[in-house]
Amino acid sequence: MFATKRLSKELVKMQEHVPPGIAIVKCDNLEEWQMDIKILDQNPLYLDQTYRLKFTFSNKYPIEPPEVQFIQCPDSTGTPRTIPMHPHIYSNGIICLDLLGSAGWSPVQTVESVCMSLQSMLTANNRNERPPGDQEFIATNRRRIRDINFVYEDDNV
Amino acid sequence: MAQELKAKGNELYKAGDYIGAEDFFSQAIQKNPHDATFFTNRAVTRSKLAKWADVEHDARAAIEIYGLKNPAALKSQNYLAEALLCLQRPQEAHDVASDAYQQSLAVKNAQSENLSRNVLRAKQQIWAARETARLRELNETLGSVEALVEADVTRALAELQGRLERGEIGEIGFGEDQKALHEDADAKIRNLREAFRVASNGEVQERVVPDYLVDGITFEIMHDPVITPSGVSFDRLAITKYVEKAGVDPLTRAPISVHDLKSNKALKAASAEFLAKNGWAVDW
Repeated sequence: MFATKRLSKELVKMQEHVPPGIAIVKCDNLEEWQMDIKILDQNPLYLDQTYRLKFTFSNKYPIEPPEVQFIQCPDSTGTPRTIPMHPHIYSNGIICLDLLGSAGWSPVQTVESVCMSLQSMLTANNRNERPPGDQEFIATNRRRIRDINFVYEDDNV
Repeated sequence: MAQELKAKGNELYKAGDYIGAEDFFSQAIQKNPHDATFFTNRAVTRSKLAKWADVEHDARAAIEIYGLKNPAALKSQNYLAEALLCLQRPQEAHDVASDAYQQSLAVKNAQSENLSRNVLRAKQQIWAARETARLRELNETLGSVEALVEADVTRALAELQGRLERGEIGEIGFGEDQKALHEDADAKIRNLREAFRVASNGEVQERVVPDYLVDGITFEIMHDPVITPSGVSFDRLAITKYVEKAGVDPLTRAPISVHDLKSNKALKAASAEFLAKNGWAVDW
């Protein structure tokens, strides 16, 4: 019930101002948005790269979290995007981050704050690797993102 | 018999034939004027037909049958508030909706959300009525100031005419001075109107709701704020929904229950005061 009004307000706010390294790519409806994020420091893993995020909102947003994942764009689109290398990001773009799960989500989070959290999650990483079991996960997972029971055992990453 | 008439009315209502449905509900009421559901059904049918005075009548009749304190009457209270809003009686609508909202919260009735919205709509309408009166008054003030400017120029023109007739100035000088006086008066009136427009038109002033009145969940203005144990306030309905589901404080993630949410009365008063002066904030 809140979703449309709340999202249109988030949009107005972001059109006035977005934090550095974050850009709105697509927000023509209130169900799916795309955002671009850049890592602003000199972390060699992500230097000069831009990554694309897809947000999918249910009508229970923000009581329930949006589904957020990285997506790939081929070179032919003119804005090539890859999936960033990170031990909590599967190669199909699915992100293992507690604040995006039903249990870790808080309705005071916004699209902007999620983007910033992901920026800092990448900034802080120095491991050029995928989560354990990546190939198996992307071959077998058919569940919706927020229903996946990730184990957030590694808070250091 | 009356129940059959009601069933027929419901059928037509679902099919979108509101005039036919209203007729069947009226027949049902004639057979049995003591069944509140006949009145509520006719009320909602009549609201589709925008017969607001009749909606008011039916909603009041249903409330009367149920009894004012009966939770079953909350739906009718909401129809009544809506009818009163459409009848441009916002103060009455506000009183009905606020009382019913409190009652609905106490019994966790599904009408809380609708009632909450109608409380806000009523606040907005009360403000709009006051704003219109203020603008009308302002327009009257503008009218009398404009009349003063016009009287002034008429007097100056008459004086000029006199000087021409006494031969103190020539035809050419008279024409030039006359033109200058008209231009001067026009400019004065233009400036006056601009000044009044700036002073009265809200679009010119910046319309911003202060952050402390904005709910962190819905991003709308709070009219019934509650405070969490961590000291942050949210609008009651949104935070209740979240706490019922998640069982934690949205900021600290400490476990809390809905009983830990306390009315923030000072903030509620601040919100009421702000809305009384800024009814536009409801749609903000």
